[in-house]
Amino acid sequence: MKAYHLFRKDLFSEIRNRYAINSLAMFIIVTISVILFSVGEETISDYLSGGLYWVVVFFTGMSGLARVFVSEEERGTTLTLQLIARPETVLSGKLIFNLVLTLAMNIVITFLYSALFPAFVIKSLMLFFITFILGTLGIAISSTIIAAIISKAGSKGTLYPVLSFPILLPLILILINLTKISMDGTSFGEAIMDVLFLASYDVVMLSVSYLLFDFIWKD
Amino acid sequence: MEGLYLFLEKNSIYIVMIIVLIVWAGVFLYNLKLDKRLKFIEKEMKEGKK
Amino acid sequence: MIWKIILFLLMSYVIIAGISFPIVEKPEAWYHFPLIPGLGENAKIIFFHVPTAWITVLAFLMSTIFSIKYLRKKDLDDDGKSQTALELGMVFCILATVTGAVWAKFTWGEYWSWDPRQTSIFALLLIYGALFALRSAVENEEKRATLSAVYSIIAFVTVPFFVFIMPRIMKGLHPGSADDTNVGPVVNFKMNSNMYLVFVLSVVAFTILYFWMWRVGSRSLNIKEKLLKNYR
Repeated sequence: MKAYHLFRKDLFSEIRNRYAINSLAMFIIVTISVILFSVGEETISDYLSGGLYWVVVFFTGMSGLARVFVSEEERGTTLTLQLIARPETVLSGKLIFNLVLTLAMNIVITFLYSALFPAFVIKSLMLFFITFILGTLGIAISSTIIAAIISKAGSKGTLYPVLSFPILLPLILILINLTKISMDGTSFGEAIMDVLFLASYDVVMLSVSYLLFDFIWKD
Repeated sequence: MEGLYLFLEKNSIYIVMIIVLIVWAGVFLYNLKLDKRLKFIEKEMKEGKK
Repeated sequence: MIWKIILFLLMSYVIIAGISFPIVEKPEAWYHFPLIPGLGENAKIIFFHVPTAWITVLAFLMSTIFSIKYLRKKDLDDDGKSQTALELGMVFCILATVTGAVWAKFTWGEYWSWDPRQTSIFALLLIYGALFALRSAVENEEKRATLSAVYSIIAFVTVPFFVFIMPRIMKGLHPGSADDTNVGPVVNFKMNSNMYLVFVLSVVAFTILYFWMWRVGSRSLNIKEKLLKNYR
């Protein structure tokens, strides 16, 4: 399981210098604070808080998920990685790392959000849980392949959200809609179409990533 | 001519039509000019290679 | 040469017919268009707005096809063709958005109301605008071609959803959305036969125009690349 070992290498180097965890945590706190300050005395309706939730998730992801590939380019370790593993293994390792990172980040955001925004009340928890898991998967998969693309380009910082947002847009639209109806208390059966679409987005993005990563990775 | 101007003032849609036709003629002729210029350059490059 | 003349005549006929033929309740003469419920006088935009949207999808599809060709054979000419198709697609996308917004002002009251079809054309603008940003960020030609090829394949996967599926299943104002009683004047045959004829001729004329502009653009791009290579 070479991919697992790649993931462990990234995990340990992360724990050692804690760069991504710190910057993500600070970014979450800053974004939620900015929203709370700018809203001020006004009340946020429930649908609005649901939409803002995914805004916070999206921008936090944009700030932290490109690191898996960009840090390799910056440290100059890309060549080594190309030599020791097949492209699919590299992609799998980086994907697992981004998955774990996105999951952790989303859990923190959900807890902070439901504590600080009183309008954010979910009635059908099962539906929201499925939305959460599939959404996290989708964000991680798309962000990883786009991170691979921009790691070879210049001006990486600004290019990353510009490239990621249109690819993530169908995902975000569905997620906002599902969050809205899970606040209404819709049963899982009624929302099955949207959930199926979410799952199919994940599957399509995953297969496209594996098919195309070869071309990006080799020089 | 006066009758034509009066007619066009009443049914102004035909003025729109004439304007669009003029615009289209301009675009078309410009494209044609670009095409001829490119053909000339391509012929020159071919002869240059030989 | 002959198809250029055909193109000129076709487009001129479409312009004359599309703009000046009147819309009447009961079409009798060959130059009358029927009144489609819900659309009225501005139905004439169908001759110009729908073809631009169709050409956008066609151009982006061709851009993706030539990207795949480039990934297979690494021939930089294919990348030039892909880039020209991308530029033309962007031009027609902007045209479709603007003509749609102007029509929306007179039909729905607002230039922009985040109707699902407006949202999806906006998403298309973003996706392919991002591709332009990516192309300008990479210096090396082969790297630029490879990266933009990969991104355009990923991007094109989302296009059929945005253009064909999403606006038809969601509720909206645009003709053909989920709460419109007819499926839209193109899919449903609410158009008269001579109106349909003008519409089909318009699509054909725009397609020929697009292919001509694409050939001119890609030839000029490839020649420029070759000339620059000789001077370096």
